[in-house]
Amino acid sequence: MLLVVVAGGSTDGLLLLVAAGGSIRGVPVEADGSIGGKWDRGQICVSEEAQPPLRILPSALAETQGDLPFVAIVRSRQELSRWLSNPLPGLRWLQVEGMLEDPEAWRDAAHNDSNIPFDVVLSDPASEFSDLYRVVDAYAVRAIRVTMPAAPGLTKAIRLAAALRLPVRVLPGQPSAEALEELHNALEFYLHEPSVEAPVEFFHSVLATMSDADADSLWMILEEDPDAFRYYDADGETKVRRTDDFGRPEIAPAGFVDNHLRSLIAQGAECTTCPWQRPCRGYFKWPDPAYSCEGVKQLFFSIQTAGDEIRRDVASFTATDTGILSEPGEVQR
Amino acid sequence: MSERVFSVILLPTSDCNVACDYCFEHKEPHRLSLVMLPLLTRRLLDHIEKEHIEECEIYWQGGEVMIMGPAWFEKAGEIMDRAAAERGRRFVHYLQTNLIGYSPAWNGVIRGMFNGSLGTSMDYPNIHRKLFKGGAAAYTELWSRRIREVKAAGIEVGVIAVLHEGSLEVGPEKFYRYFTEELGLSAFQVNTPFPGGPAKEVAGGFQLDSSELAEFMVGLFDIWMAEGYSLGVSVGPFDALIDNFTGKQARLPCIWKENCSNQFISVDAKGTVAQCDCWVTSYPEYFFGNMFREPDLTGMLKTSRARRDFVERPKHLVEDEDCLSCRYLSICHGGCPVRTYSALGTMMAKDPYCEVYKAVFACAEAHAGEILRARAAPIVSLRQRHEVGVNSTG
Repeated sequence: MLLVVVAGGSTDGLLLLVAAGGSIRGVPVEADGSIGGKWDRGQICVSEEAQPPLRILPSALAETQGDLPFVAIVRSRQELSRWLSNPLPGLRWLQVEGMLEDPEAWRDAAHNDSNIPFDVVLSDPASEFSDLYRVVDAYAVRAIRVTMPAAPGLTKAIRLAAALRLPVRVLPGQPSAEALEELHNALEFYLHEPSVEAPVEFFHSVLATMSDADADSLWMILEEDPDAFRYYDADGETKVRRTDDFGRPEIAPAGFVDNHLRSLIAQGAECTTCPWQRPCRGYFKWPDPAYSCEGVKQLFFSIQTAGDEIRRDVASFTATDTGILSEPGEVQR
Repeated sequence: MSERVFSVILLPTSDCNVACDYCFEHKEPHRLSLVMLPLLTRRLLDHIEKEHIEECEIYWQGGEVMIMGPAWFEKAGEIMDRAAAERGRRFVHYLQTNLIGYSPAWNGVIRGMFNGSLGTSMDYPNIHRKLFKGGAAAYTELWSRRIREVKAAGIEVGVIAVLHEGSLEVGPEKFYRYFTEELGLSAFQVNTPFPGGPAKEVAGGFQLDSSELAEFMVGLFDIWMAEGYSLGVSVGPFDALIDNFTGKQARLPCIWKENCSNQFISVDAKGTVAQCDCWVTSYPEYFFGNMFREPDLTGMLKTSRARRDFVERPKHLVEDEDCLSCRYLSICHGGCPVRTYSALGTMMAKDPYCEVYKAVFACAEAHAGEILRARAAPIVSLRQRHEVGVNSTG
């Protein structure tokens, strides 16, 4: 069975077409050693057994992880250099923050033996988008993904990332009206610009969901499900993304997404009747359950429309393909 | 080991045996000695070893490389290839020559070191490439004879043509037929001209009108697609663009790389390192350093302030020019730094041929669309047959 799987998509030992730079249950994908966001084939087996969450920690805390799977967050050239020169066995990738302005760091990353993947985080796409050119040399020697918030400058950053064939993860959070406009523009670009080759998440995986591929919810796609991705602050305290308010006793990482959705439904939130409940699972109702999803529903609708078009095209192609295999008369008989 | 390839445009001499109008090189008599070659080789091998690169492409050009003589190349190839093999690396050599100095004495080294092929240059019509005695007509006659001789010797030839006002006047059809029919070539490449040499000292006649140049390029593209593409004729850079737009892995020319500084360097006979041959022969303000004086090429490339401008250029272009909104950004990135610098005196601007490139890209995209539709046509045709079959038997 051939299946198109995208970043964050779930897999169960099937033959895959994998978008390198994406992740499968928290494990960055490098099928057949491919890098550079290129499409490639590979046989990836994912255990059905429950896996411990992937820990995402500040560099200093990561030192204690050893063989346990973890992601180190680096914020300085020294931290970057430390993990490139002597990575621990459990290191899955480096989350590189606030370093795009440092050309020296990127020169080091380009001239280094290690091929550890990077997740490069842009905190302000409007001012940082052009710095993406600095990662080009490093991208030639390692897989790199770019992560950015839905914020002004998002479309610019996605345009440039696409031109450089860099996979992107957009963290929409609870987007403001301004951010929603950026998301709509970015989605339009992703869906209709032929030069886009690398995945732009969450559009890519949601589109796959709507094209009948089996995929997870936004929480998994965006690596925010605490059951699979456990974030730690500098004090070693675990956090659910997008809020510092974790003194609340009702918020526990285990089973967080299910509990959150149940709570929303119990409160009669619009999720109850929302057609996008499966891919969303209350993502946009966190941390503020009163957030109006009107704008994000339009996003889902646009992706659904594109998914429908793809499904029609695939059906049409399949019918044509059948025609190739048999003579017309034979088909009729 | 990385699959990356590092390329070096190596100029063993800047000296030349002809007198072309548009040459931007200082024709110094300096030549790379076989005494210095082992040091140059060691520096290159140190660099690719540090970069975990297995293969280094050496593009030998000048000046005019054949001035060095076949015996020199035979020895040079031996020195370099032996040193590379000892370190588990490999050099792949390419030869770019004006062919004026060619004789059958070269055949052995061309077949051995250069794998039986070479690149040369000719324009159509030729009005700017000249011999010291006899001018352009004599050049054309001698070069044409040399082409016949190398082809008769079984050597594969690729030709680069630089466009000029005369090319635009004769038009793309005559231009195409000259290379494919009169010369009988199955591969040639067209380059846009630029006024090399000190910035802004523009040599007249080499700044072509963009709309006229675009019209010519598109016309040439159309003729190639109609007459040569399906027969296997290769016209660069059109063939790479067709590959790109039909979803194949495309090797686009250096002028359209996202960052040419990570692809190659040029080194002259004195060990000067710069971005490409245009820079190393024309613009000392953009030299990266000297390979004979500095022991660490990797360190030089990493720290050179001049090189930093190349690395930072595309960033400036997407901020200050309209490149970010261009649908062809992924295959252009603002174009060629040296074309920009030679025309404008700064590289922090987009290539002056922007409009020409856009026209060519659009043309390539349209042709690629036709190719893809044609590939799908048999499927559609079968489907129609199927539908007819269903209807007629129903």
